[in-house]
Amino acid sequence: MTTILPECDIPIPQRKPHIICHDPENIVLPMCNIQTVPGDMTERGCTFAGCRGVVGGPVKDAIQLVHGPIGCAYYTWGTRRNLSDTKLHRKYCFSTDLTEESVIYGGAKKLLNSIIESHELFPEGKAVFVYSTCVVGLIGDDTEAICKQAQEKIGIPVIPFHCEGFRGVSQSLGHHIANRTLFEKVVGTEEPQETTPYDMCIVGEFNIDGDAWIIKPLFERMGVRVLSVFTGNASYSDIPPMHRAKLNIVQCQRSSTYIAKMIQDKYGVPYINVSLFGMTQTAQALRDVGKFFRLEENAEKVIAEELALYQSRIDHYRKKLEGKKCFIYQGAPRAWHWIGPMLELGIETILTATTFGHKDDYEKIMERAKPGHICIDNPNALEIEEYLVKLKPDFFIGGLKEKYLTYKLGIPFINGHSYEEGPYAGFEGFVNFAKDIDVAVNSPVWKFINEPLEVK
Amino acid sequence: MALNESSAPIKTVRKTRSVTINPPRMCQPMGAILAYMGVNGCVPLVHGSQGCSTYPRYNIARHFRESAEVAVSSLAEDAAVYGGARNLTEAIKNIKSRLNPAAIGICTTCMSETIGDDVKLISKKALTDDTMKIFPASTPSYVGTHLTGYDNALKTLVETMAVKGEPNNKINIITGIINPGDIREIKNMLRLMNVQTIFLSDISETLDTPILPGGHKPLLPDGGTSLTDIADSANSLGTIAICRTAGSAATYLQNKFKVPAVLAPAPIGVANTDKFVQNISMLSGASIPDEIKKDRGRLIDSMVDVHHYMYGRKVGIFGDPDLVSAIVRFCAEAGMNPTVAMTATKHKDFAPDIKAVNGEYKTDTQILEGTDLYEFHEVVKAQGAELILGNSKGKDVADDEGVPLVRFGFPVYDRVGVYRYSIMGYNGSIYLLDQMTNAILGHRYDPDKLHQ
Repeated sequence: MTTILPECDIPIPQRKPHIICHDPENIVLPMCNIQTVPGDMTERGCTFAGCRGVVGGPVKDAIQLVHGPIGCAYYTWGTRRNLSDTKLHRKYCFSTDLTEESVIYGGAKKLLNSIIESHELFPEGKAVFVYSTCVVGLIGDDTEAICKQAQEKIGIPVIPFHCEGFRGVSQSLGHHIANRTLFEKVVGTEEPQETTPYDMCIVGEFNIDGDAWIIKPLFERMGVRVLSVFTGNASYSDIPPMHRAKLNIVQCQRSSTYIAKMIQDKYGVPYINVSLFGMTQTAQALRDVGKFFRLEENAEKVIAEELALYQSRIDHYRKKLEGKKCFIYQGAPRAWHWIGPMLELGIETILTATTFGHKDDYEKIMERAKPGHICIDNPNALEIEEYLVKLKPDFFIGGLKEKYLTYKLGIPFINGHSYEEGPYAGFEGFVNFAKDIDVAVNSPVWKFINEPLEVK
Repeated sequence: MALNESSAPIKTVRKTRSVTINPPRMCQPMGAILAYMGVNGCVPLVHGSQGCSTYPRYNIARHFRESAEVAVSSLAEDAAVYGGARNLTEAIKNIKSRLNPAAIGICTTCMSETIGDDVKLISKKALTDDTMKIFPASTPSYVGTHLTGYDNALKTLVETMAVKGEPNNKINIITGIINPGDIREIKNMLRLMNVQTIFLSDISETLDTPILPGGHKPLLPDGGTSLTDIADSANSLGTIAICRTAGSAATYLQNKFKVPAVLAPAPIGVANTDKFVQNISMLSGASIPDEIKKDRGRLIDSMVDVHHYMYGRKVGIFGDPDLVSAIVRFCAEAGMNPTVAMTATKHKDFAPDIKAVNGEYKTDTQILEGTDLYEFHEVVKAQGAELILGNSKGKDVADDEGVPLVRFGFPVYDRVGVYRYSIMGYNGSIYLLDQMTNAILGHRYDPDKLHQ
């Protein structure tokens, strides 16, 4: 048997197929992408979160208008660290702020007025993204028609996203909805001003703490022209010409493979999967892209320059971190993206978990996992606590909601969602990552955790 | 008899836009969760989509820097068609079987309210025995704000639990959404006055937990008000609501059990803290000890020490109404000039409180109610401010105006420790004034001018 039922789950045995102890002789994937067990203290969010928070939200010059009661808009106001070089998308929070009256009589008029007013107050907004929340789906506002009407009136694109929170089983469906909406309504609506044989899009890169600012120049130094980043630090105008890329590379392969695949199917643009974390994986990504564009020599030159700058610092941290064991719990892809980079620091990942992974995410984890590795789908707070106590990793890479639980147990922690002191991507970012792990693991604060105060 | 004075509604500035831009307010489940987190052994359960628990958890975690564990019934499409009874029933059973808590505090959401689930009935049916209490508060996001959510949850707690018994000689204190540091300072004052209390509710330990050898119970932390104490709140000498927005439970206890309700301003500054101490004394018969009088003297001393720096300083304040109106009065007491007072949650006492200050101190504070930070910023630009007081969401307003932001309220996520300190009582007021003064000194003064 490779599935496990932890003690905390004895009353809810339906969790058992979600928790796997890896056995290479008998590979079983965790059951995934199904409804959460109600009341199990899940860490999951909603479809709105995946659409507004992850994929649509980083578009920096779109007015991000949340159609619904106030909470959903407030909670996604500047929370994810998807940085940009302008302020509109993180500084301002737009909401139709639906109240009981709208729930009874509909929110159409309020939505139309809100779109028009937002545009008048913020003419620098190049598009309006309208996100529907639970209540909008339930009362049945025709947001498509309203957005169309508004677009005619204000003369800039108004894009409705049908991402009501109750749809689907997790954030994951929201990613898909955002991809499909942007593909269907935006991609291909404009041609690029010019094209070159070296045009490429970086897909599924959200510029968390500045990741894209590290990644993009690596490819540019190779002679590749980055047509768009989907959607980190992206302008609205970066999305329409995506169909004219010669190649798409996909970093976040859970949230954004959808659009790469749709562009491939409709426009014949191929895509390749990349991992732009760690020295080896980043170098591999550069080589793969170099091979595609026949820029192999340029790729090697950039890799050599980067290694010359940063490898010695990675070696320095490896000496301090060798032999450590960690847990990685992320949305999905970073759980497997980071297994390899951890090995470069001499660190073994003994447990991975994902909030909304699908089968392909778990396949990628299992390809990288050692025998005995524990893998959990959609873990809940009790399971996380039980495994932290039972396996005592040297540190845990998770999200903010798990951070303080982990601290209280005396275990060092890295926020892998927004990072501590990122960026973490690329060669340079990996040095930041290693430094943060070193800080977490080697800080003297932990020695006080179990030190009692007693009369001497 | 409620001791607050009612007055005719006063017209205040309010946006005419449909769109809300930068709202400093959250939805009802957020407040309800905070109320439940102040109850010992109570697991909050959100009956709704998963975002409705995840987002409030995120906000609580980043403000208090504590784990905030909340259950959710994980409603999905099938519930939109068939109702959420199955999910809620299963959630209650699963929480009970895994955690066996003393209680589950349910908050409803847009989703569960719109599909029309009868949470009271469903939860009653889900319980097979009487060993666990369930609090079914109605808290859809499309009604009210985080403050009404807190109020509803607290009222539900008291309605469910309070039972008439022997007089207990205690005073109930309804905190509202204030910080652990505030609660500890209020407790300290009551200890000095030798008055026994029941806090409704009490997050001072549950959301500010120490790291102690031997581990930690993140899901059911120590601290919080016991269910027994909540039951006993019907037998107290009176109830004081620190925040009037959380006063429904006080009114309920008064109407149902004749426990006098005191709905007075939050104890910030001289006059409001005096009133608080006098109310405690009035309800309990306790005298005012020298220690409290000395604390008051130190507050006055601190105001005297800084009046040259602070006189006439223009300050724009936003946040929850009880805190804002009390801080407006305190700023006026210190000789400052509160130019703008803004709250996103409307409350009947807000405008009258500030008008009263305007009358007494000849200030001209603009009152903004039920609006957003976009409008606050517009009015700040027109009226001027050398200092902004508010939560972390005021950062951009302060930066754009080139003035410092002194952080108070919820959430504060871009500075550490704000939840640990009190801005209430005489001691807390000293701290708040020092924060304001130091912000002005750091921002406006040439260091040479600070040598005495």
